[in-house]
Amino acid sequence: MHLHKFEKLWLLSGVGALALFLVILGFGAFYLGTHPQSHGITIDPANIEAEEAFQPENLGLTKVDDDKYIVNVVATAFNYDLGVDEDGNAVKNIKIPKGSTVLFQVVTPDVVHGFNIAGTNVNMMVEPGFISSMEVEMKQSGEFTLLCNEYCGVGHHMMFATVEVYE
Amino acid sequence: MKSGERNYSGSNREPSLKGTLISVGVLGLVIVISWFAVFALFISR
Repeated sequence: MHLHKFEKLWLLSGVGALALFLVILGFGAFYLGTHPQSHGITIDPANIEAEEAFQPENLGLTKVDDDKYIVNVVATAFNYDLGVDEDGNAVKNIKIPKGSTVLFQVVTPDVVHGFNIAGTNVNMMVEPGFISSMEVEMKQSGEFTLLCNEYCGVGHHMMFATVEVYE
Repeated sequence: MKSGERNYSGSNREPSLKGTLISVGVLGLVIVISWFAVFALFISR
């Protein structure tokens, strides 16, 4: 088969790019351990309170150390349960100091939800039966919207809260 | 040679693929630049 020398050139770069992307993928998966946010950790969706982190008093923002926080959330159609404040009202706004490391742990007892803090790298799927978690450093200050980006039913668009990262 | 006609008269002459090479190169550049742009966005956030 005869190939023009230019054709050889772009075929080679195409195949080279494919090989490079596969190497990057393999590096991420096997060396860095990148995998879906559920981490394969299961939970009984009918009894999420059996897990201490998701008992009503442990929901929302908890400070564990200097600049280290945990946010436990129960996502249900169509609400993010971030616990209650001193007056017993549902928390819809959490405040985190800039530069702190936050571990988000989210579960759902019903359907698949999304957990996305728009404008940050926090973005994961929440599936019934799994504990989705990810740890991030909040590098930028500002007010971000926490929203559901997996269509979960008629009230999907009403499923949001705000995350404030202050200096 | 009439305009629009490709330059492959004769059995052992190759067509000119210069324009195609440039188009492929531009497309490849767009893909590479957007890959790095998205990666930079991920790292900065």
